[in-house]
Amino acid sequence: MKMNWLELFPEPIKSLLEHLPFSILDRLEEIRIREGRPLEINAAGEHHFLTMSGKLTFRVEESYKPGREDTHRLLDRISNHSLYTMEEELRKGFITIPGGHRIGLAGRTVLSGGKVEHLRDISGFNLRIAREIRGAADAILPHLIDKKEKRMKHTLILSPPQHGKTTLIRDMARQISSGSYADSTVKWSGLKVGIIDERSEIAGSMRGVPSFDVGPRTDVMDGCPKAEGMMMMIRSMSPEVLLVDEIGRPEDVEAITEALHAGISVIATAHGSSVDELSQRPAMASLMANQMFEMYVILNRKAGKPTYRILDRQQRAIQLSLPYQKGVDAYG
Amino acid sequence: MPMVKLLGMMIIVLSGTLAGFNKARQFERRPQQIRELILVMQRLETEISYGFTPLPEALNKMGSQMQEPLKSFFISAATDMNSPQGLTAQESIEQALSVHWKRTSMKAAEREVLHQLSFTLGTSDRQDQIKHIALAAQQLKHEELAAREELDKYGRLSKNLGLLVGVLIVILIF
Repeated sequence: MKMNWLELFPEPIKSLLEHLPFSILDRLEEIRIREGRPLEINAAGEHHFLTMSGKLTFRVEESYKPGREDTHRLLDRISNHSLYTMEEELRKGFITIPGGHRIGLAGRTVLSGGKVEHLRDISGFNLRIAREIRGAADAILPHLIDKKEKRMKHTLILSPPQHGKTTLIRDMARQISSGSYADSTVKWSGLKVGIIDERSEIAGSMRGVPSFDVGPRTDVMDGCPKAEGMMMMIRSMSPEVLLVDEIGRPEDVEAITEALHAGISVIATAHGSSVDELSQRPAMASLMANQMFEMYVILNRKAGKPTYRILDRQQRAIQLSLPYQKGVDAYG
Repeated sequence: MPMVKLLGMMIIVLSGTLAGFNKARQFERRPQQIRELILVMQRLETEISYGFTPLPEALNKMGSQMQEPLKSFFISAATDMNSPQGLTAQESIEQALSVHWKRTSMKAAEREVLHQLSFTLGTSDRQDQIKHIALAAQQLKHEELAAREELDKYGRLSKNLGLLVGVLIVILIF
């Protein structure tokens, strides 16, 4: 596994992380640095603090607490010594680094006209390690194919945060675009895929070029508001499948309705743990009431293992809680 | 014997004169180099406010278009920022100052300006950066003025003084 993100951390944090046992290092999901508070890591859904000697602990008083010097160095490095080039990123609260990983930031906001203009006194960092798992969608994808029409079904993927939504749709994009579909009975080639990647999470684009393999026929609209991006894609890039992460605002719903009527298959994700819960949200209610989506995929995690359920338009279960076939552990 | 004496006298007078010229050149170069630094500040301001150029890249770019010794100062600061030890911008500039500053004709006041600037460079938003750079440029202009006055006062004086000191030594010795 490439760990170029490790280079970002200043000493002594870097050597603490380097000396973690491989079983943890390999499954790291998050590294959290908060000034004056314990250094925290999250791996396989569990959190730990780190002691000065690199041991895992739950006790706050034993843990290593990064100081001002550490956070200052870290910020200097992730911004390439040039915080002024990151104004847009600071406004959004995260920075994407090479490899598609993201660093979330917390600090004091500077407002202008009631809107967040800038972030200063940054003291909280959350490195979310992006994982590319080829085959993450193998178990789910075959259920979402409309074999008669040779298209993908409109699908909504529901899951709480940290359950592998993004990893899943990244692999879906790759497979649909390259025409593998994880189903040997499907004989047609790949489809044109458009990804609206508002938070640069799916493709992890650096200067407009995806860091991850999202397939040969995939276009990425990076850093674009979802609703606007969907309309731009529909107008200019003629996608056959649109992938969108974390829909939820009224304008997203409008754009999705537009795409569905334009004959484009939409695969979207949303935060939530059940279809009922989603119907309660005012913005989403109309989408649900019109039964716009043909398929619902619900991700969950049982005893650290990710599981999924697939429901059809009438919310009848097609496939009951099953663990993923591949990449069982490493969802981040 | 008189030939050797004469040669010795000439050597002493010559070296005194050269030392005087050298000192005078220092006086001449100081305002020139300060002027160069002021131009660098102005370019840096443009790179930051319009170009969004990352600091190492901006320093490299400016360094490669300058003359020695400031050229190697900026390039080495930029190189240190990308070094694997992971120095901060401040540490990189400080290191470059300690290595390359003595080759310039500038004095402690100008060094202090760069030293102060190194703490803010790259660590805040554009507006703030521009303010600090403008402040540094302002201080440098002040130093430039002082340096020019010094040149007027001591420039020719040190040339003449070198010659005269040479002659004095000759008189004293022989």
